[in-house]
Amino acid sequence: MNWALCVPLAASALLGTTAAPVGRRLPPATAVRVLTAGALITALATGFVLTAAAVLVIGQAPPVAALGEWSGAALASGDPIPLTAGCLAALAVTVLGLTAFRRAVRTGRELRLAARAGRSLGPAVAGLVVVDDDAPEAYALPGIALPGMSGRVVVSTAMLRALPAAERRVLLAHEAAHLRHRHHLYVQLAELAAAADPLLRPAARAVRRGVERWADEVAAAQVGDRRLAARALARAGLARAAAGRLRPEPALALPGVGGDLVERTQALLAPAARRRPVLAGAVAALILLTTAAGTVAAGGTEDRFETAQSAYAVTR
Amino acid sequence: MPTIGRRKGALEQEVLTALAAAGRPMTAAEVLAELDDGLAYTTVMTTLSRLHAKGGLTREHSGRAYAYSLRGDAASVGASVTARRMRRLLETGNDRAGVLARFVADLPPEDEQLLADLLAAASRPQGGAQR
Repeated sequence: MNWALCVPLAASALLGTTAAPVGRRLPPATAVRVLTAGALITALATGFVLTAAAVLVIGQAPPVAALGEWSGAALASGDPIPLTAGCLAALAVTVLGLTAFRRAVRTGRELRLAARAGRSLGPAVAGLVVVDDDAPEAYALPGIALPGMSGRVVVSTAMLRALPAAERRVLLAHEAAHLRHRHHLYVQLAELAAAADPLLRPAARAVRRGVERWADEVAAAQVGDRRLAARALARAGLARAAAGRLRPEPALALPGVGGDLVERTQALLAPAARRRPVLAGAVAALILLTTAAGTVAAGGTEDRFETAQSAYAVTR
Repeated sequence: MPTIGRRKGALEQEVLTALAAAGRPMTAAEVLAELDDGLAYTTVMTTLSRLHAKGGLTREHSGRAYAYSLRGDAASVGASVTARRMRRLLETGNDRAGVLARFVADLPPEDEQLLADLLAAASRPQGGAQR
């Protein structure tokens, strides 16, 4: 059964290392869906097997065994988990559980802040809020951040002035796609999985990148012109850069974010990604394997405790 | 270019952004010219009056037609405070915790030229890139 305990860890490592290329090869909508599902399942399974390993080792300690009324020796028999591995698992699952919890709390706080700011933006007309601002900005405010309100698109006058009408259509279609396909949910779920299982951090990054590509593709399809969509992205990016030079304190350009815009523009100038059923199927197979291993590990752990409990009853 | 199936509400948003970009009152004919998308005049006119009925636009007589403008005191103090607050949230959007993401993020300086080249390439008539 110990092999089953190792599968989710191996699956996390595999998903983490392959997420970026998988995300680039698959059509973005498929990539986001399979990577988010994969990240969630492997994070859950990893948390579960770490807990199982920890419990199997801690359960051998005489005071714990006496309290639980099972035989510590029987728990250690057969193919036992090494003591150090069990202790490390206990430490890891505690730290990671706390990290995931803190991450969830932080997301909740951010959503409340967004809701408060969103409400003070005033009423939306046709799902759109225009903000008079010299910084070219555009973003979607998901309905989840606005209790009792539907999602809305926020765009600044500077951004609107920077783009010709046809490219404004691209921008509006891009933001509407974020709202319609609930992209924020994928991003937040993938980030939560990565907080609980740091091996999955590249998968969360690939999902974040993937939702932008997904919205770009929806927008390009809606205007029926990939090059037009590429122009809108490039022009908006350059407008932001130009406005940034005028700002007194330049915004910190964080690594790994800015490069995406060049890549997104290039992706729109290239033909749309082919469907790759084999690659998507491979990720799905990994998800199934992880689920199966988790089930085997659960059954195995239960069996061991049952055996240990009968062994304890016999010694009485 | 012919119009490809619009989302519901998309035309209303396009009309609103056209008015916001212009920053001055516009008649239906002016909005139609600005959108330049093979739309029918009556479609634009209907959209404008629907937006007016919803309270999103104000209108005044301009000759025989109405000139529409965005309702809302964009210049009010509250708007700029809110814009700043949202910007702070967006800055954390670049962080892992961010709940909001921009249409386009900030560029590293070295990408600016690259993007300008891509824009030029995408603006050339199709097939012209080889010449």
